[in-house]
Amino acid sequence: MPRALWTGSLSFGLVNVPVQLLSAARDLDYHFHELHEKDKVRIEQRRFCSKEDVEVLFEEVAHAYDLNGKQVIVTDAELASVEPRKTRTIDIEAFVELADVDPIYFDHPYLVAPAGDSEGTLRAYRLLVEVMERTKRVALGRFVMRTKEYLAALRVRDGGLTLSTMLFHDEIRPTKPIPTGGQKPAKKQVDHAVALIEALSTDWDPSSYEDCYRERLRRVIESKRKRRKIEVPEAEREPKPAPDLMAALERALENVRAGKHPRAEAEANGSSNGDGDLVGLSREQLYERAQKEDIPGRTKMSKKQLVDALSGGEPGGR
Amino acid sequence: MPPRSIWNGTITFGLVNVPVKLYSAIESKTVHFSEVHAKDGAQLEHRRICPKEGKEVDYDEVVKGYEVSPDQYVILEKDEVKAAAGDRGKVVHLTEFVDAEEIDPVFFDRTYFVGSRDAKDAYRLLHEALRRSGRAGIGRFTFHDREYLVAVRALDDVIALHTLRFHDEVVSPDELDIPSGQRGPAAREVKMAAQLVESLDEDFRPERYEDSYRNSVLDLIKRKAAGKEIDLVAQEEPDHDDLAAALEASLGGGGGR
Repeated sequence: MPRALWTGSLSFGLVNVPVQLLSAARDLDYHFHELHEKDKVRIEQRRFCSKEDVEVLFEEVAHAYDLNGKQVIVTDAELASVEPRKTRTIDIEAFVELADVDPIYFDHPYLVAPAGDSEGTLRAYRLLVEVMERTKRVALGRFVMRTKEYLAALRVRDGGLTLSTMLFHDEIRPTKPIPTGGQKPAKKQVDHAVALIEALSTDWDPSSYEDCYRERLRRVIESKRKRRKIEVPEAEREPKPAPDLMAALERALENVRAGKHPRAEAEANGSSNGDGDLVGLSREQLYERAQKEDIPGRTKMSKKQLVDALSGGEPGGR
Repeated sequence: MPPRSIWNGTITFGLVNVPVKLYSAIESKTVHFSEVHAKDGAQLEHRRICPKEGKEVDYDEVVKGYEVSPDQYVILEKDEVKAAAGDRGKVVHLTEFVDAEEIDPVFFDRTYFVGSRDAKDAYRLLHEALRRSGRAGIGRFTFHDREYLVAVRALDDVIALHTLRFHDEVVSPDELDIPSGQRGPAAREVKMAAQLVESLDEDFRPERYEDSYRNSVLDLIKRKAAGKEIDLVAQEEPDHDDLAAALEASLGGGGGR
C-alpha cells in the first residue's frame, strides 16, 4: 500500500472511522535535474539575503506577509496556533447530490482507506460506503492537512471512498468578463453542429488515451542516450476560420458519415500535421494509415504497435 | 479590468475552426508568505549554485539531466526537451465527444475558461452545440511546451477547458486491497446511517463554505501587525465510540449537529 499522507478519523454524526488518505493521482512524469553544463554537477538552489548578499540557512528563514505595504513577520508556532482544533478529523457536515457539484470545484483526489484492520473500523467504513452508494450522495466535510484547512467531497468510486479537496467559491473566477462574442448561431447551424458532435461521439474510455507527451519524452531521452539526433517537429499552422460556417459543418458531417476523418480536406491541404506526429493520432487514425501502407497484422495491433510499425518499426528512431 | 489571457489558439471540431483565448479559471486564495531573512527582514533570493565550484551558475549554463542510475545522467538541452511538446502549439482538435457527466471528477485536473477572439467567429455555435448535446469534446492541448489531454464543455455561458489526468495516473481503490472484515454492517445500522444521511441532506451551495483557515491566518497577521500577543493553543483528538450506539445518539440528538 502506498504511503499514507494523512491519518485521522472520519466523523459522521457521532460515528468515528479511523482512516488514512493516500493520493489518488500518480506522478508518472519524467523529472529532470538541473545540471551545470560544464562539469555535469547537480545544481543546488540556495537562499541568499538580498541585503547582505550572504547565504541564509533554513533556521534563519522567517515568513513575511505584506499587509498594505507593512511587512508582518509570522512564526511557525503562531501559524500553528490558528489551525482549527479538531485537526485530525474529517467532519462530515452535509450530503449533496454528485450531479449538483460541478467538477470545477474538485482539486486533488485522495483515496480514503480504513486505518488498521480492527473489526469495528472495517465495519464502520463498509457502512459508510454502502450507505453513500445507495443514496448516491457526496459527503461534504472539512479537515486540516499540513497547515491548511480544506473543504472536501467524499464519494464512492470503485467500491472505496474517494475524497477530493475542493476549491472555495471565491477561488473560481467569475465568467462574466470572459468574451463570448461571435455571431449568434442560426438554429439550423446548431442542429448541424449537434449532429456532427453526435456522429463523433463515443463512450468515455479513459484507457484509450495515452500520455503522448510522456511517450515522446521517453523517446527523446532514449535517442539522446543512444546519441541520435533529436529532431524538433515543425509546428502545425493555426487553421483559419471557415468563411462559410454552414458549408464547413455540412462537409465535415458528410466526411464522418462516409467513414472518413472529419477534417479530411484540411489534412489533404497540408494545414494539419501530415505524418509528422504519429503518437498524437487516435488508434482509428493510425489504423487508417496502416491500411494505406498495407501493414501486415494491423487489425490486431495496439496503438503503440501501430506507431512503431508506421515509423519503420524502430522505436525512438524518428 | 478585463482578465489577461494566457494562451491564443484555435479549437476545431469537424471542419469548424474557432479562434479562442484561454483564461485561468482558478485563483488560489491561500495566504502566501514570502521568505525573508529573520535577522533583517530582507527578501531572500534563490540562487543556482554549482556545489563543486561553489559559484553561482547562469541559467544559460544549465542543462537538463535525466538520472538513469545514481549520478548517471542523460543530458538534454532545453530545446531537446521542448521537442517532446509535439507540433500542435496553437490548435486543439476535438476529435471525439463523450457524455460530459460520464467523466469521473477524479480525472479533472486544471480548468481554464475559453473566450472568443473575434466577433464573427463560431464560438457561440460551439458553446450552444456542447450545451445542447451535454457532451464534452476530447482533444490535446499544448501549453508551455507540454501536451495535455483536455475535455472541452459548456459551463454556464462560457466554454471550459479541463486538463485531464491519464488513466494510468489515477489510482483505483481496487489497488489497495482494503480488507472487507468478518461481517458487514447490520441491516439496522445501514438503515440508521441512511436516516442520518437524509437528515444532513441539502442542496450544494458553494458560497455557504468560507475558507475559515484563510480568515484566521489573515486575522493572525492583523493581530500581529497591531503588536498583540499571540496565544499558542493545543489541539485534541476525538474518541472512538461504539458504532450502533453512536448512530443512535446522532439521530436522537436532532440530526447529529
